[in-house]
Amino acid sequence: MTTTRRVHCIIPPHLLDKLLESDDSEVRKAALDTMLTTTRLRGERAIRASFIGATAPGNGRRTVFDCRQGRVLPTATLVRTEEGTASQDASVNRAFDGLGLTRDFYHDVLQRDSIDGLGMRLNGYIHFDRMYNNAFWDGQQMVFGDGDGRMFTDFTGAVDVIGHELTHGVTEYTAGLAYHDQPGALNESISDVFGTLVKQWSAHQSVDAADWLIGAEVFTPGIDADALRSLKAPGEAYDNPEFGKDPQPAHMNKYVNLPNTERGDYGGVHINSGIPNKAFYLTATRIGGYAWQAPALIWYESLKASTSQTQFQDFADTTYQKAEELYGADSAEQLAVLAAWQDVGIHISGIPTGIARTRSHTARHNGGVGHEDGVAALSKQIKALTAQVKALAEDVTALKSSNALKSSR
Amino acid sequence: MKVSLARHGGQAAAIRLQQPPEVVDTDTLPRSAATELTRLVAAATASAPAVSDRPGRARDAMSYTITVQDDGVTTDLTQSDTTMSPEFAALLDWLDKHFTRP
Repeated sequence: MTTTRRVHCIIPPHLLDKLLESDDSEVRKAALDTMLTTTRLRGERAIRASFIGATAPGNGRRTVFDCRQGRVLPTATLVRTEEGTASQDASVNRAFDGLGLTRDFYHDVLQRDSIDGLGMRLNGYIHFDRMYNNAFWDGQQMVFGDGDGRMFTDFTGAVDVIGHELTHGVTEYTAGLAYHDQPGALNESISDVFGTLVKQWSAHQSVDAADWLIGAEVFTPGIDADALRSLKAPGEAYDNPEFGKDPQPAHMNKYVNLPNTERGDYGGVHINSGIPNKAFYLTATRIGGYAWQAPALIWYESLKASTSQTQFQDFADTTYQKAEELYGADSAEQLAVLAAWQDVGIHISGIPTGIARTRSHTARHNGGVGHEDGVAALSKQIKALTAQVKALAEDVTALKSSNALKSSR
Repeated sequence: MKVSLARHGGQAAAIRLQQPPEVVDTDTLPRSAATELTRLVAAATASAPAVSDRPGRARDAMSYTITVQDDGVTTDLTQSDTTMSPEFAALLDWLDKHFTRP
Protein backbone atom coordinates (compact mmCIF):
# COMPACT_ATOMS: atom_id res chain seq x y z
CA MET A 1 0.00 0.00 0.00
CA THR A 2 1.30 3.47 -0.76
CA THR A 3 0.62 6.74 1.05
CA THR A 4 0.37 10.10 -0.65
CA ARG A 5 2.38 12.94 0.78
CA ARG A 6 2.10 16.65 0.13
CA VAL A 7 5.42 18.23 -0.69
CA HIS A 8 6.00 21.97 -0.53
CA CYS A 9 8.62 24.49 -1.53
CA ILE A 10 11.70 22.31 -1.53
CA ILE A 11 11.63 21.00 -5.09
CA PRO A 12 13.54 23.03 -7.73
CA PRO A 13 11.23 24.80 -10.24
CA HIS A 14 12.70 23.00 -13.25
CA LEU A 15 11.85 19.64 -11.67
CA LEU A 16 8.32 20.82 -10.89
CA ASP A 17 7.89 21.80 -14.56
CA LYS A 18 9.00 18.33 -15.55
CA LEU A 19 6.62 16.70 -13.08
CA LEU A 20 3.72 18.76 -14.45
CA GLU A 21 4.22 16.94 -17.75
CA SER A 22 4.00 13.54 -16.11
CA ASP A 23 1.55 11.00 -17.48
CA ASP A 24 0.53 10.21 -13.93
CA SER A 25 -2.33 12.42 -12.67
CA GLU A 26 -1.29 12.01 -8.98
CA VAL A 27 2.22 13.25 -9.73
CA ARG A 28 0.85 16.17 -11.75
CA LYS A 29 -1.51 17.09 -8.89
CA ALA A 30 1.28 16.99 -6.28
CA ALA A 31 3.48 19.21 -8.45
CA LEU A 32 0.65 21.67 -9.08
CA ASP A 33 -0.18 21.88 -5.34
CA THR A 34 3.46 22.61 -4.58
CA MET A 35 3.70 25.33 -7.20
CA LEU A 36 0.50 27.04 -6.08
CA THR A 37 1.54 27.09 -2.42
CA THR A 38 5.03 28.35 -3.20
CA THR A 39 3.71 31.09 -5.45
CA ARG A 40 1.21 32.24 -2.81
CA LEU A 41 3.86 32.42 -0.09
CA ARG A 42 6.29 34.26 -2.35
CA GLY A 43 3.57 36.74 -3.25
CA GLU A 44 2.72 37.43 0.40
CA ARG A 45 6.35 37.94 1.31
CA ALA A 46 7.03 40.20 -1.65
CA ILE A 47 4.12 42.43 -0.73
CA ARG A 48 5.24 42.63 2.91
CA ALA A 49 8.82 43.35 1.87
CA SER A 50 7.73 46.19 -0.40
CA PHE A 51 5.96 47.92 2.52
CA ILE A 52 8.99 47.46 4.77
CA GLY A 53 11.39 48.93 2.23
CA ALA A 54 9.34 52.10 2.04
CA THR A 55 9.68 52.85 5.75
CA ALA A 56 13.05 51.71 7.04
CA PRO A 57 14.88 54.67 8.55
CA GLY A 58 17.17 52.88 11.05
CA ASN A 59 17.84 49.84 8.87
CA GLY A 60 18.51 47.80 12.02
CA ARG A 61 21.87 49.50 12.60
CA ARG A 62 23.78 48.14 15.58
CA THR A 63 25.52 50.05 18.36
CA VAL A 64 27.26 48.53 21.38
CA PHE A 65 27.89 50.44 24.62
CA ASP A 66 30.12 49.47 27.56
CA CYS A 67 28.57 49.96 31.02
CA ARG A 68 31.98 49.33 32.62
CA GLN A 69 30.30 47.47 35.51
CA GLY A 70 27.90 50.35 36.16
CA ARG A 71 24.11 50.13 36.28
CA VAL A 72 23.23 53.42 34.59
CA LEU A 73 22.79 52.97 30.84
CA PRO A 74 22.97 56.66 29.82
CA THR A 75 26.53 56.88 31.20
CA ALA A 76 27.78 53.87 29.19
CA THR A 77 30.54 54.39 26.62
CA LEU A 78 29.99 53.82 22.90
CA VAL A 79 32.39 51.05 21.81
CA ARG A 80 31.25 49.80 18.40
CA THR A 81 29.08 50.94 15.50
CA GLU A 82 28.33 49.61 12.01
CA GLU A 83 31.13 51.78 10.62
CA GLY A 84 33.65 50.87 13.33
CA THR A 85 36.17 48.07 13.37
CA ALA A 86 36.07 45.02 15.60
CA SER A 87 36.93 45.60 19.26
CA GLN A 88 39.73 44.10 21.34
CA ASP A 89 36.99 43.14 23.79
CA ALA A 90 35.41 39.81 22.75
CA SER A 91 32.16 40.67 24.58
CA VAL A 92 31.70 43.72 22.34
CA ASN A 93 32.08 41.64 19.20
CA ARG A 94 29.88 38.79 20.41
CA ALA A 95 27.08 41.22 21.29
CA PHE A 96 27.49 43.01 17.95
CA ASP A 97 27.45 39.73 16.02
CA GLY A 98 24.50 38.33 18.00
CA LEU A 99 22.43 41.43 17.33
CA GLY A 100 23.33 41.11 13.65
CA LEU A 101 22.43 37.42 13.40
CA THR A 102 19.05 38.03 15.01
CA ARG A 103 18.36 41.00 12.75
CA ASP A 104 19.37 38.96 9.69
CA PHE A 105 17.24 35.99 10.78
CA TYR A 106 14.14 38.17 11.00
CA HIS A 107 14.97 39.87 7.71
CA ASP A 108 15.95 36.85 5.64
CA VAL A 109 13.59 34.24 7.06
CA LEU A 110 10.50 36.20 8.05
CA GLN A 111 10.96 39.36 5.96
CA ARG A 112 10.73 41.48 9.10
CA ASP A 113 12.81 44.67 9.18
CA SER A 114 14.30 44.66 12.70
CA ILE A 115 12.37 44.58 15.98
CA ASP A 116 9.55 46.94 15.05
CA GLY A 117 9.33 45.94 11.39
CA LEU A 118 10.47 49.46 10.50
CA GLY A 119 14.23 49.15 10.78
CA MET A 120 14.55 49.97 14.49
CA ARG A 121 18.12 50.48 15.67
CA LEU A 122 19.60 47.72 17.82
CA ASN A 123 21.49 48.87 20.90
CA GLY A 124 23.38 46.48 23.16
CA TYR A 125 24.84 47.33 26.58
CA ILE A 126 27.59 45.02 27.82
CA HIS A 127 29.42 44.64 31.16
CA PHE A 128 26.28 45.72 33.05
CA ASP A 129 26.80 45.81 36.83
CA ARG A 130 29.34 43.71 38.70
CA MET A 131 29.09 39.90 38.37
CA TYR A 132 25.57 40.27 36.95
CA ASN A 133 24.02 36.86 36.21
CA ASN A 134 21.55 37.84 33.54
CA ALA A 135 20.67 39.46 30.22
CA PHE A 136 17.46 41.39 29.64
CA TRP A 137 15.43 43.55 27.26
CA ASP A 138 14.61 46.87 28.93
CA GLY A 139 11.82 47.74 26.52
CA GLN A 140 14.13 49.58 24.11
CA GLN A 141 17.50 47.84 24.12
CA MET A 142 19.40 44.80 25.25
CA VAL A 143 21.57 44.56 28.38
CA PHE A 144 24.19 41.87 29.08
CA GLY A 145 25.85 40.84 32.33
CA ASP A 146 29.30 39.26 32.63
CA GLY A 147 28.18 36.51 35.02
CA ASP A 148 29.75 35.90 38.40
CA GLY A 149 32.39 33.53 36.98
CA ARG A 150 31.40 30.96 39.58
CA MET A 151 28.08 29.69 38.21
CA PHE A 152 27.41 31.93 35.21
CA THR A 153 29.66 33.29 32.51
CA ASP A 154 29.34 36.16 30.02
CA PHE A 155 25.81 36.23 28.58
CA THR A 156 27.03 37.63 25.23
CA GLY A 157 28.26 34.08 24.52
CA ALA A 158 24.77 32.68 23.90
CA VAL A 159 23.26 33.68 20.55
CA ASP A 160 19.95 32.04 21.47
CA VAL A 161 19.76 34.27 24.55
CA ILE A 162 20.31 37.31 22.33
CA GLY A 163 17.61 36.06 19.95
CA HIS A 164 15.36 35.44 22.95
CA GLU A 165 15.72 38.98 24.29
CA LEU A 166 15.30 40.75 20.95
CA THR A 167 12.22 38.62 20.28
CA HIS A 168 10.65 40.16 23.40
CA GLY A 169 10.83 43.38 21.40
CA VAL A 170 9.17 41.74 18.38
CA THR A 171 6.39 40.40 20.62
CA GLU A 172 5.89 43.87 22.09
CA TYR A 173 5.47 45.34 18.60
CA THR A 174 3.11 42.58 17.42
CA ALA A 175 0.82 40.72 19.85
CA GLY A 176 1.92 42.71 22.91
CA LEU A 177 1.38 39.61 25.05
CA ALA A 178 0.85 40.68 28.68
CA TYR A 179 3.68 39.59 30.98
CA HIS A 180 1.80 37.42 33.43
CA ASP A 181 0.16 34.00 33.65
CA GLN A 182 -0.57 32.26 30.31
CA PRO A 183 -0.01 35.29 28.01
CA GLY A 184 3.28 35.87 29.87
CA ALA A 185 4.32 32.23 29.53
CA LEU A 186 3.50 32.44 25.81
CA ASN A 187 5.59 35.63 25.66
CA GLU A 188 8.54 33.72 27.17
CA SER A 189 7.92 30.71 24.92
CA ILE A 190 7.86 32.82 21.76
CA SER A 191 11.25 34.22 22.81
CA ASP A 192 12.63 30.73 23.41
CA VAL A 193 11.25 29.47 20.09
CA PHE A 194 12.71 32.28 17.98
CA GLY A 195 15.87 32.36 20.11
CA THR A 196 16.58 28.75 19.28
CA LEU A 197 15.57 29.33 15.65
CA VAL A 198 18.18 32.09 15.34
CA LYS A 199 20.76 29.59 16.60
CA GLN A 200 19.57 26.76 14.31
CA TRP A 201 19.35 29.05 11.28
CA SER A 202 22.81 30.56 11.82
CA ALA A 203 24.33 27.08 12.22
CA HIS A 204 22.16 25.61 9.42
CA GLN A 205 20.98 22.83 11.72
CA SER A 206 18.10 20.50 10.94
CA VAL A 207 15.54 19.65 13.63
CA ASP A 208 17.43 16.42 14.30
CA ALA A 209 20.84 18.08 14.59
CA ALA A 210 19.69 20.94 16.85
CA ASP A 211 20.11 20.68 20.64
CA TRP A 212 16.87 22.62 21.37
CA LEU A 213 18.53 24.17 24.44
CA ILE A 214 18.40 27.79 25.57
CA GLY A 215 21.51 29.22 27.18
CA ALA A 216 23.74 26.15 27.05
CA GLU A 217 26.74 28.52 27.03
CA VAL A 218 25.89 30.66 30.08
CA PHE A 219 27.10 28.24 32.75
CA THR A 220 30.70 27.89 33.84
CA PRO A 221 32.29 24.50 33.07
CA GLY A 222 32.04 23.45 36.73
CA ILE A 223 28.23 23.65 36.77
CA ASP A 224 26.39 20.41 36.08
CA ALA A 225 23.59 21.76 33.88
CA ASP A 226 22.77 21.42 30.19
CA ALA A 227 21.16 24.83 29.83
CA LEU A 228 18.64 27.28 31.27
CA ARG A 229 15.77 25.54 29.46
CA SER A 230 15.12 22.72 27.01
CA LEU A 231 12.37 22.88 24.37
CA LYS A 232 12.83 19.20 23.64
CA ALA A 233 12.59 18.11 27.27
CA PRO A 234 11.15 20.82 29.55
CA GLY A 235 11.96 19.89 33.15
CA GLU A 236 15.23 18.22 32.27
CA ALA A 237 17.61 21.08 31.56
CA TYR A 238 19.31 20.69 34.96
CA ASP A 239 19.13 18.74 38.16
CA ASN A 240 21.89 19.49 40.65
CA PRO A 241 22.25 20.43 44.31
CA GLU A 242 22.94 24.11 43.59
CA PHE A 243 19.97 24.81 41.29
CA GLY A 244 17.58 22.00 42.21
CA LYS A 245 15.59 20.35 39.41
CA ASP A 246 14.35 22.20 36.34
CA PRO A 247 10.68 22.97 37.28
CA GLN A 248 9.32 23.44 33.73
CA PRO A 249 6.27 21.31 32.84
CA ALA A 250 5.89 19.71 29.41
CA HIS A 251 2.14 19.04 29.71
CA MET A 252 -0.95 20.90 30.89
CA ASN A 253 -1.55 18.34 33.62
CA LYS A 254 1.65 19.65 35.28
CA TYR A 255 0.80 23.38 34.85
CA VAL A 256 2.28 25.28 37.80
CA ASN A 257 -0.01 27.81 39.48
CA LEU A 258 2.04 30.63 40.96
CA PRO A 259 0.94 34.09 42.16
CA ASN A 260 1.06 36.99 39.71
CA THR A 261 3.82 38.77 41.65
CA GLU A 262 7.55 39.32 41.23
CA ARG A 263 8.22 36.52 43.71
CA GLY A 264 5.84 34.25 41.79
CA ASP A 265 7.55 35.01 38.44
CA TYR A 266 4.30 36.77 37.43
CA GLY A 267 2.38 33.50 37.48
CA GLY A 268 5.34 31.37 36.41
CA VAL A 269 6.05 32.93 33.02
CA HIS A 270 9.49 31.23 32.93
CA ILE A 271 8.01 27.97 34.22
CA ASN A 272 4.87 27.26 32.19
CA SER A 273 6.54 28.36 28.95
CA GLY A 274 7.72 24.75 28.88
CA ILE A 275 4.29 23.66 27.60
CA PRO A 276 4.14 25.76 24.38
CA ASN A 277 7.89 25.21 23.97
CA LYS A 278 7.32 21.48 23.82
CA ALA A 279 4.41 21.97 21.38
CA PHE A 280 6.71 23.86 19.02
CA TYR A 281 9.43 21.23 19.31
CA LEU A 282 6.92 18.44 18.53
CA THR A 283 5.48 20.38 15.59
CA ALA A 284 8.94 21.03 14.16
CA THR A 285 10.19 17.49 14.53
CA ARG A 286 7.01 16.04 13.00
CA ILE A 287 7.28 18.36 10.02
CA GLY A 288 11.00 17.68 9.88
CA GLY A 289 13.72 19.40 7.89
CA TYR A 290 14.54 22.90 9.12
CA ALA A 291 12.50 24.40 11.94
CA TRP A 292 12.91 27.95 10.61
CA GLN A 293 10.83 27.05 7.55
CA ALA A 294 7.18 25.91 7.93
CA PRO A 295 7.11 25.68 11.78
CA ALA A 296 8.62 29.17 12.19
CA LEU A 297 6.24 30.69 9.67
CA ILE A 298 3.19 29.12 11.36
CA TRP A 299 4.30 30.40 14.79
CA TYR A 300 5.24 33.86 13.47
CA GLU A 301 1.93 34.34 11.68
CA SER A 302 0.15 33.15 14.83
CA LEU A 303 2.08 35.64 16.97
CA LYS A 304 1.01 38.47 14.67
CA ALA A 305 -2.61 37.29 14.94
CA SER A 306 -2.50 37.19 18.77
CA THR A 307 -3.39 39.86 21.33
CA SER A 308 -2.25 40.88 24.80
CA GLN A 309 -4.58 38.39 26.51
CA THR A 310 -4.07 35.35 24.28
CA GLN A 311 -4.18 32.12 26.28
CA PHE A 312 -2.53 28.79 25.43
CA GLN A 313 -5.79 27.46 23.94
CA ASP A 314 -6.21 30.57 21.76
CA PHE A 315 -2.66 30.33 20.49
CA ALA A 316 -2.97 26.61 19.75
CA ASP A 317 -6.17 27.25 17.77
CA THR A 318 -4.47 30.05 15.85
CA THR A 319 -1.48 27.89 14.89
CA TYR A 320 -3.90 25.24 13.58
CA GLN A 321 -5.75 27.86 11.55
CA LYS A 322 -2.52 29.42 10.21
CA ALA A 323 -1.16 26.01 9.24
CA GLU A 324 -4.29 25.50 7.15
CA GLU A 325 -4.06 28.96 5.56
CA LEU A 326 -0.39 28.44 4.69
CA TYR A 327 -0.27 24.77 3.78
CA GLY A 328 -3.85 23.59 3.30
CA ALA A 329 -6.50 21.74 5.28
CA ASP A 330 -5.31 18.36 6.53
CA SER A 331 -1.83 19.09 5.22
CA ALA A 332 1.00 17.30 7.00
CA GLU A 333 1.92 20.65 8.58
CA GLN A 334 -1.57 21.15 9.99
CA LEU A 335 -1.73 17.58 11.28
CA ALA A 336 1.67 18.04 12.93
CA VAL A 337 0.36 21.13 14.74
CA LEU A 338 -2.77 19.26 15.85
CA ALA A 339 -0.82 16.29 17.18
CA ALA A 340 1.77 18.47 18.92
CA TRP A 341 -0.78 20.45 20.94
CA GLN A 342 -2.71 17.29 21.73
CA ASP A 343 0.48 15.73 23.12
CA VAL A 344 0.91 18.61 25.58
CA GLY A 345 -2.72 18.37 26.70
CA ILE A 346 -4.31 21.10 24.56
CA HIS A 347 -7.05 20.03 22.16
CA ILE A 348 -7.75 22.26 19.18
CA SER A 349 -11.20 23.85 19.51
CA GLY A 350 -13.93 22.53 17.24
CA ILE A 351 -12.20 19.25 16.42
CA PRO A 352 -14.06 16.34 18.06
CA THR A 353 -11.68 14.29 20.20
CA GLY A 354 -12.15 11.10 18.16
CA ILE A 355 -11.35 12.84 14.87
CA ALA A 356 -8.44 14.68 16.46
CA ARG A 357 -7.06 11.38 17.73
CA THR A 358 -7.29 9.77 14.29
CA ARG A 359 -5.69 12.72 12.55
CA SER A 360 -2.95 12.95 15.17
CA HIS A 361 -2.28 9.26 14.72
CA THR A 362 -1.89 9.88 11.00
CA ALA A 363 0.53 12.74 11.66
CA ARG A 364 2.59 10.67 14.09
CA HIS A 365 2.86 7.71 11.76
CA ASN A 366 3.42 9.56 8.50
CA GLY A 367 6.74 10.76 9.82
CA GLY A 368 6.29 14.33 8.65
CA VAL A 369 6.74 16.05 5.33
CA GLY A 370 10.37 16.86 5.80
CA HIS A 371 11.66 13.62 7.18
CA GLU A 372 13.00 12.99 3.77
CA ASP A 373 13.89 15.25 0.96
CA GLY A 374 10.92 16.35 -1.19
CA VAL A 375 12.39 15.00 -4.40
CA ALA A 376 13.11 11.69 -2.71
CA ALA A 377 9.52 11.57 -1.43
CA LEU A 378 8.13 12.19 -4.89
CA SER A 379 10.52 9.69 -6.43
CA LYS A 380 9.36 7.13 -3.91
CA GLN A 381 5.73 7.79 -4.86
CA ILE A 382 6.54 7.57 -8.55
CA LYS A 383 8.46 4.32 -7.98
CA ALA A 384 5.55 2.87 -6.02
CA LEU A 385 3.06 3.91 -8.70
CA THR A 386 5.32 2.53 -11.42
CA ALA A 387 5.55 -0.76 -9.53
CA GLN A 388 1.76 -0.85 -9.26
CA VAL A 389 1.34 -0.14 -12.97
CA LYS A 390 3.94 -2.80 -13.79
CA ALA A 391 2.17 -5.33 -11.60
CA LEU A 392 -1.15 -4.46 -13.22
CA ALA A 393 0.36 -4.79 -16.68
CA GLU A 394 1.76 -8.19 -15.73
CA ASP A 395 -1.67 -9.22 -14.42
CA VAL A 396 -3.31 -8.10 -17.66
CA THR A 397 -0.70 -9.95 -19.72
CA ALA A 398 -1.21 -13.07 -17.65
CA LEU A 399 -4.98 -12.74 -18.03
CA LYS A 400 -4.66 -12.30 -21.79
CA SER A 401 -2.40 -15.37 -22.02
CA SER A 402 -4.84 -17.36 -19.95
CA ASN A 403 -7.77 -16.29 -22.14
CA ALA A 404 -5.81 -17.04 -25.31
CA LEU A 405 -5.00 -20.50 -23.97
CA LYS A 406 -8.67 -21.13 -23.15
CA SER A 407 -9.73 -19.96 -26.66
CA SER A 408 -7.21 -22.23 -28.35
CA ARG A 409 -8.68 -25.20 -26.51
CA MET B 1 19.10 43.76 62.68
CA LYS B 2 18.70 40.99 60.08
CA VAL B 3 18.82 41.83 56.38
CA SER B 4 17.89 39.27 53.74
CA LEU B 5 18.17 39.43 49.96
CA ALA B 6 15.97 37.49 47.52
CA ARG B 7 16.48 37.75 43.77
CA HIS B 8 13.62 37.22 41.33
CA GLY B 9 13.15 36.92 37.56
CA GLY B 10 15.72 37.13 34.82
CA GLN B 11 16.80 34.48 32.36
CA ALA B 12 17.43 32.14 35.30
CA ALA B 13 14.09 32.89 36.99
CA ALA B 14 13.22 29.21 37.35
CA ILE B 15 16.47 28.58 39.21
CA ARG B 16 16.01 31.61 41.47
CA LEU B 17 12.48 30.54 42.41
CA GLN B 18 13.94 27.54 44.18
CA GLN B 19 16.73 29.35 46.04
CA PRO B 20 16.30 30.65 49.59
CA PRO B 21 17.12 34.28 50.43
CA GLU B 22 20.59 35.10 51.72
CA VAL B 23 20.68 36.61 55.22
CA VAL B 24 23.14 38.76 57.17
CA ASP B 25 22.82 39.65 60.86
CA THR B 26 24.50 42.87 61.98
CA ASP B 27 25.30 41.19 65.33
CA THR B 28 27.77 38.96 63.46
CA LEU B 29 29.52 41.84 61.66
CA PRO B 30 32.47 43.98 62.73
CA ARG B 31 31.23 47.28 64.18
CA SER B 32 32.24 49.38 61.16
CA ALA B 33 30.50 47.02 58.72
CA ALA B 34 27.34 46.93 60.89
CA THR B 35 27.29 50.74 61.00
CA GLU B 36 27.71 50.97 57.23
CA LEU B 37 24.93 48.43 56.59
CA THR B 38 22.58 50.25 58.97
CA ARG B 39 23.28 53.53 57.16
CA LEU B 40 22.64 51.98 53.72
CA VAL B 41 19.38 50.38 54.91
CA ALA B 42 18.16 53.70 56.29
CA ALA B 43 18.97 55.51 53.03
CA ALA B 44 17.29 52.84 50.88
CA THR B 45 14.21 52.81 53.10
CA ALA B 46 13.90 56.60 52.96
CA SER B 47 14.12 56.61 49.17
CA ALA B 48 11.78 53.66 48.61
CA PRO B 49 9.15 54.43 45.97
CA ALA B 50 5.56 53.26 46.16
CA VAL B 51 5.62 49.53 45.46
CA SER B 52 4.63 48.79 41.86
CA ASP B 53 5.17 45.01 41.62
CA ARG B 54 4.71 45.22 37.84
CA PRO B 55 7.35 44.52 35.21
CA GLY B 56 6.62 47.55 33.01
CA ARG B 57 8.03 47.06 29.51
CA ALA B 58 11.21 45.32 30.64
CA ARG B 59 11.45 41.58 29.98
CA ASP B 60 13.75 39.25 31.92
CA ALA B 61 15.02 42.09 34.09
CA MET B 62 15.70 40.98 37.66
CA SER B 63 14.08 42.35 40.76
CA TYR B 64 15.28 42.19 44.33
CA THR B 65 13.47 42.04 47.65
CA ILE B 66 15.50 43.20 50.63
CA THR B 67 13.76 42.36 53.89
CA VAL B 68 14.84 44.18 57.04
CA GLN B 69 13.91 42.79 60.47
CA ASP B 70 14.69 45.20 63.28
CA ASP B 71 13.16 45.40 66.76
CA GLY B 72 10.20 43.24 65.73
CA VAL B 73 9.43 45.36 62.68
CA THR B 74 9.74 43.85 59.20
CA THR B 75 10.19 46.06 56.15
CA ASP B 76 10.25 44.79 52.53
CA LEU B 77 12.06 46.84 49.90
CA THR B 78 11.55 45.63 46.31
CA GLN B 79 13.10 47.23 43.24
CA SER B 80 14.12 46.08 39.76
CA ASP B 81 17.10 46.50 37.42
CA THR B 82 15.31 49.13 35.38
CA THR B 83 13.76 51.24 38.14
CA MET B 84 16.32 51.06 40.94
CA SER B 85 17.14 54.13 43.05
CA PRO B 86 20.84 54.91 43.67
CA GLU B 87 20.30 54.29 47.43
CA PHE B 88 18.79 50.85 46.80
CA ALA B 89 21.60 50.08 44.32
CA ALA B 90 24.21 50.99 46.96
CA LEU B 91 22.59 48.66 49.51
CA LEU B 92 22.29 45.86 46.93
CA ASP B 93 25.94 46.30 45.97
CA TRP B 94 27.02 46.04 49.62
CA LEU B 95 24.95 42.88 50.12
CA ASP B 96 26.19 41.34 46.85
CA LYS B 97 29.80 41.90 47.89
CA HIS B 98 29.14 40.54 51.36
CA PHE B 99 27.44 37.35 50.11
CA THR B 100 29.96 36.63 47.36
CA ARG B 101 33.14 37.30 49.31
CA PRO B 102 35.38 34.22 49.54
